[in-house]
Amino acid sequence: MEINTFLKNFADILEDTDAALIQQETVFRDLDEWDSLIALSLIAMADEEYSVKLTGDDIKSSNSLNDIFEIIKNKA
Amino acid sequence: MITLQDKNILVTGASSGIGRQIAITASELGAKLTIIGRNIQKLEETLALLAGDGHKIYVIDLSDAANLTSLISESTAYDGVVFNAGVVEYLPVKFLNENKINSVFATNFDSNVVLSQKLMKNKLLKKGGSLVFVSSISSKLGVPGTAMYTASKAALSAFSKVLASELASQGIRCNSVSPGIIKTAMTEQAAHVVSDEELKKAEAEYPLGYGQPEDVAGLIMYLLSDISKWMTGSDLVIDGGFTLK
Repeated sequence: MEINTFLKNFADILEDTDAALIQQETVFRDLDEWDSLIALSLIAMADEEYSVKLTGDDIKSSNSLNDIFEIIKNKA
Repeated sequence: MITLQDKNILVTGASSGIGRQIAITASELGAKLTIIGRNIQKLEETLALLAGDGHKIYVIDLSDAANLTSLISESTAYDGVVFNAGVVEYLPVKFLNENKINSVFATNFDSNVVLSQKLMKNKLLKKGGSLVFVSSISSKLGVPGTAMYTASKAALSAFSKVLASELASQGIRCNSVSPGIIKTAMTEQAAHVVSDEELKKAEAEYPLGYGQPEDVAGLIMYLLSDISKWMTGSDLVIDGGFTLK
């Protein structure tokens, strides 16, 4: 799997955030739009695109989008 | 005093959680149980916990009506049925698809409707009997990510009311219960999605904290017993005060 595709997939679940802000080092929790529904969307996206079951604790233990990417890569 | 002495009671989803506790409490009140679940090992664990003897188990996946044949042909009429089998799935609407919709509804709604229909058609419900559908408080709320679970439970509560009308002339009662969050393996699983921290924060919204399986079982014993003989078509909320807030 590829980081740029992952970043695009993540940008796709957002509605109000400029895609340019979605970078490897982006701290997703600091995005204005981040909330529990986006967290559920991230879990659903990981399942749909990568067949990976991401947990709430995986998200909790991550800071950057790259952290999430690494977790998905390890579970895939 | 509530008694279920010698009542013949069917409980679905009895492998664990609320269903298991319903079976245990009913057996302690004197009922003869027929319990249904998908997992034989867990179902046998439930059986071992039942008071008294003469109980039966059926390992059935209720999502396929064809699996009901032996249960229906071997059953004698029931005084009470608890439709408890259900799954929870957290998914934003944007990520729904036909498969996901169908799989949640197949278990939470369709299977319960088909089972009740087969019991009626084969005259397996005794006059004066009681049917109880386990719905959810979420059927009255709008918690993000719970659309299909919530819709399937709301459908179940609505179905229960219509069935109550259709069965009233036979003296068969039909009610649903809508519990708030109960500590079970199913909610533990949900915790992995929501994160332990968030689940704890959510518990603060419950004036009496999260419920235990026996809290719901207690209410269901009332509905199964003759003490509630004038109650039908109701949906009873049991939520530790959650909806007070």
